[in-house]
Amino acid sequence: MKAIRVQQTGGPEVMELAEIPTPQPKPNEALVKVSVAGVNSIDGRFRDGSLRTPLPFTPGQEGAGVVTAVGAQAKTVKVGDRVAWSGALGSYAEYVTATTDSLVLVPATLSDQQAAAAMMQGLTAHYLANDAHKLKAGETALVHAAAGGVGLLLVQMARMIGARVIGTASNQEKASLALEAGADEVIVFTQQDFEAEVKRLTGGKGVDVVYDGVGKATFEKNLNVMRRRGMLVLYGMSSGPVPPVDPAKLSEKGSLYMARTTLAHFTATREELLARTSALFAMIAEGKLKLRIAKTYALAEAAQAHRDMEARKIAGKILLIL
Amino acid sequence: MKAILVKQPGGPEAMELVELPVSQPKANEAVVKLTASGVNFIDVYVREGRYKALPPFVLGQEGAGVVNAVGADVNSVKNGDRVAWTGVMGSYAEYAAVPADRLVPIPEGVTDPQAAAVMLQGMTAHYLSHDTYPLKHGETVLVHAAAGGVGLLLVQMAHNIGARVIATVSTDEKARLARAAGADEVILYTQSDFEAETKRLADGKGVDVVYDSVGKTTFEKGLNVLRPRGMMVLFGGSSGAVPPFDLIALSQKGSLYVTRPTLANYIATREELLARSGAVFTMMAAGKLKLRIEHTYPLAEAQQAHRDLEGRKTTGKLLLIP
Repeated sequence: MKAIRVQQTGGPEVMELAEIPTPQPKPNEALVKVSVAGVNSIDGRFRDGSLRTPLPFTPGQEGAGVVTAVGAQAKTVKVGDRVAWSGALGSYAEYVTATTDSLVLVPATLSDQQAAAAMMQGLTAHYLANDAHKLKAGETALVHAAAGGVGLLLVQMARMIGARVIGTASNQEKASLALEAGADEVIVFTQQDFEAEVKRLTGGKGVDVVYDGVGKATFEKNLNVMRRRGMLVLYGMSSGPVPPVDPAKLSEKGSLYMARTTLAHFTATREELLARTSALFAMIAEGKLKLRIAKTYALAEAAQAHRDMEARKIAGKILLIL
Repeated sequence: MKAILVKQPGGPEAMELVELPVSQPKANEAVVKLTASGVNFIDVYVREGRYKALPPFVLGQEGAGVVNAVGADVNSVKNGDRVAWTGVMGSYAEYAAVPADRLVPIPEGVTDPQAAAVMLQGMTAHYLSHDTYPLKHGETVLVHAAAGGVGLLLVQMAHNIGARVIATVSTDEKARLARAAGADEVILYTQSDFEAETKRLADGKGVDVVYDSVGKTTFEKGLNVLRPRGMMVLFGGSSGAVPPFDLIALSQKGSLYVTRPTLANYIATREELLARSGAVFTMMAAGKLKLRIEHTYPLAEAQQAHRDLEGRKTTGKLLLIP
């Protein structure tokens, strides 16, 4: 089968289209013919080596497609089912194997593109706003990269909850998208210092929570924009990993809380996964949550997709269409 | 007046008994004639220079006594009132000038020494278990230094809430005290590895929260015993400050929360101060919170008090009597 392979970590150019054997599903797995693969910031982290996985590997953890074979112990899916997943490494390929526990059925109301676009980033936005820090009406949240994949969804969800959303974005066009999605204010951080702006916008008090998938570039300032006993939820590192943190800083800056989260711990059981995907798919089907599919590429163009993603040119979801 | 002065940071010998003039209260202050001052581990950090204070300074940040003089703007207290406070330097002395909005009236039924014993450590135990991580009935908590000043109070509060308490201590005598305070399981960390023991006791699930005042020698292992999405509450560093830690470890170990709270951020307003001290006094009056004051020293023996505290010879509260 055709698959993108990474032989050694590095920039987008290390992703090459190759011909490799189609994998066989283990007893608790299914084999899925991939129709759409989702591209995520985390794919770049595995590709560049900031997150480790044995080499060589096929990147991509998200997609939608059809089950073509199941292992002996498979109970939750059968051949022919239209499924979506998040977390199965190897999705930038014509076929991928995934544990049957991690595959969710895609309802008829959603297309393959919508399902693939929703999984990783939608589930992430959902756990961020509902569990990592359970947002309440009236709270103020700072959402970095508010026009990014997770950002646009998180802004919409925060708005639905009734929170005030301050977003950051790298240009005016993205700021407009974030405002359309429901952000109350968006700071174009390339033009203004977000720390000073957030302090001004909150009358010096600071925000209740910061949702940050950026990492290194924003960390220090994030500590300065929260209210006393506020919460920093770090869920990604698109600008690079945060250097080791001195816990004394957390107390100095107001007895702050910090969490470094990953989706796996918020979809650890099938129960939790299904609860989140039902909520997510329902919001999309009802038109309450709008997915912005910004750009689609062919599998062979995966490297370009990463280049465009990392140049921060894209506002919304990036998909590979097989 | 007699006072314990630190001219430059150092070991217990850095504390000198000196004669100083009694200060006049500023407009917003009252001068209190101390009946008792509380000794806390934080005094050791200040004495050593680990926490900054500008020398020369009078050590100590907790006391109780009788108001002796009030500044021009003070309305909340008058001469003769019995009051207690924490968070203001200068209590290892016969008299202390304290901002009046930091003074808490001592209720009937509570003696001055009891008030001096409970302000810092009692309110610390209270904020930890009621606000930083509000404990719920049925949750499992790990408390280090469970026979220490905060430890014995925190174990009682956690027990009263109905949490299951796993305690760590260094001696059999301390184990006995921790059990009497309500600990369900006690680990002698000098004999067994608390990480392995806690994992075993928590049935492989992990504990919900770790309250850690020990710091350097316990922090990393504490992260390993938390359940996914559990919380590390680091509130002290008796074994040394925790060095900067890698955030990716937090996500790998379960998308954990870390916070490094300090009492000042939990009694920031007078409202909060009165509510919290009131809650602690109420628990004492109801017989739900027992103070253990086994070690009282004359003010002149402050050095010995610190030696005993740092030598881990003591349990419960230490007081200095002027």
